[in-house]
Amino acid sequence: EVAYSQSTGQKEQLSRCLQRGIRRVRDLCKVLQLPAVFEETAVSYFQRALQLPAFHLVSLEKKELLGGCCVFVTCRQHSWPLTMGTVCSLLYARQDLFAGVFLSLQKELGLSVPALSLADLVTTHLSSFRLFQPAASVPAPFLEDKEKLLARTMGIVELASETWLVTGRHPVPIVTAAAFLAWQSLRPGPRLSCPLARFCRLAGVDLPPPAHLRLKELLEILLGMASQLSWLRGFALDKKTVVKHVGDLLQHRVFLLRNAFSQQDREEQQDKEEQQD
Amino acid sequence: FKDDFSTSPHLFTPMSPYDVELPIQTAEDGVFASQLSQPKELHTDFSSVDLSFLPDVTPENKEQNLSEDGHETQKELDGSLPSNEDSGVFMDESSLSHPGAAQPSPEASGVCPPLTPMTPMTPASESSGIVPQLQNIVSTVNLACKLDLKNIALHARNAEYNPKRFAAVIMRIREPRTTALIFSSGKMVCTGAKSEEQSRLAARKYARVVQKLGFPAKFLDFKIQNMVGSCDVRFPIRLEGLVLTHQQFSSYEPELFPGLIYRMVKPRIVLLIFVSGKVVLTGAKERSEIYEAFENIYPILKGFKKPS
Repeated sequence: EVAYSQSTGQKEQLSRCLQRGIRRVRDLCKVLQLPAVFEETAVSYFQRALQLPAFHLVSLEKKELLGGCCVFVTCRQHSWPLTMGTVCSLLYARQDLFAGVFLSLQKELGLSVPALSLADLVTTHLSSFRLFQPAASVPAPFLEDKEKLLARTMGIVELASETWLVTGRHPVPIVTAAAFLAWQSLRPGPRLSCPLARFCRLAGVDLPPPAHLRLKELLEILLGMASQLSWLRGFALDKKTVVKHVGDLLQHRVFLLRNAFSQQDREEQQDKEEQQD
Repeated sequence: FKDDFSTSPHLFTPMSPYDVELPIQTAEDGVFASQLSQPKELHTDFSSVDLSFLPDVTPENKEQNLSEDGHETQKELDGSLPSNEDSGVFMDESSLSHPGAAQPSPEASGVCPPLTPMTPMTPASESSGIVPQLQNIVSTVNLACKLDLKNIALHARNAEYNPKRFAAVIMRIREPRTTALIFSSGKMVCTGAKSEEQSRLAARKYARVVQKLGFPAKFLDFKIQNMVGSCDVRFPIRLEGLVLTHQQFSSYEPELFPGLIYRMVKPRIVLLIFVSGKVVLTGAKERSEIYEAFENIYPILKGFKKPS
């Protein structure tokens, strides 16, 4: 009689842990409706990772997260805009633990994980907004055309990126704030009185706390730009009224940003010179 | 061969014993005088008193060391030296290596007199004009005796001990403003100092406190474990661009942390780079590594400056 540990049976079968893990990875890919090739890549990452000493002996909680990390990395590598927040909520995982496992996975497997594409994120995030189809909870003036909203939100997000509102910040609140501004500007009349919180409730999306700040910052940028547009200088624009002119501002934004910023730079330079004297 | 003089002044006794021109046989006064004059000439802005001349604990004078500590500290602050104690060390050093005479010690022959080992190595200012400021030094020392933590916590001021939370006494002193973790094994961690000398001075003060409480504390194997510095390049940085071009060293995940984590290979330093232009450098064992790392990163960051 030979003990199991003395045989090569262990190597022939996949361990139960590995089997469970692979099943979890596949389920996650199906829930996210990812292409089949993603599933295969994620599973192979998972198998490779679990063999490494860094992951072989970690807690079960971490092994569960590892599957999610593999899916997340695969998506990022294929420019599929999946956020950590989404994966964590699907796995009921703590984000700090997820972050640790993600960074270890990157290091142990030597994976290069490209940055999250904000443009792609806008597309997928907006798809989850429930403002495009008539519904009992959504008043008629609040319904919007998906393509129009997408285009305008994209413009505002690009503006945010150029004006240093994106670097170092969590991407989702920026998209939420931009979508709100875009939505308001497409039909300001009935929508200007709707606050951000109500907008998110109607759209059926979460309101991330930083979104209020991002909204405020975006409005400041827009006001700065508006001051450069000759036909708007006459109006005393404020946070509310500038929203009506977002379309114009976006259209001419290259010119306006250059002017607005160079003006700022000139003022800063003058201040510096004054200080030096 | 690493030039220890510039990088770890705190570990070195003064150069004068090794200086060929200065004969050791002539009175200690000559040695002390030259050593005294040099720091005063070159240190214009030395925020903490330089205690690098304090001898490390050697078997002969460890008793002397700590018994004289209170006395010593006062004299250190005045800038004058107790002659008997240090002379013991100088004598030891000179007996160990015969400078200039028999052994061609590299320090003696290759050294340039104007540069003392105690001057912190300031970086070449012409490159960036910015000097990272040290914010935190973590050091460890071995008091080499078992300690009764409850006893220490009960009798020492500014000490907390909650074994359910952490298995060490947490003690704080106000000057230099630091915190110490004192373990029952006799090992101690000292954090919060803003310079190597302050860290050492603080560690000695804690050792003194433990000694006064009745434990035969020594001061062995003092070592700086980590140094943290920070500075400001004064222009915003496109982190997204930096992570693209320096992918193998950078990690930028805005979902996790607003800064870019740059792991420099040489010197082995981790930099946290923020969009505002603030940079934090950590992982250094010596001050020069921080300066070198910053001088390495500055031209890279300038490449991502917002065009004016």
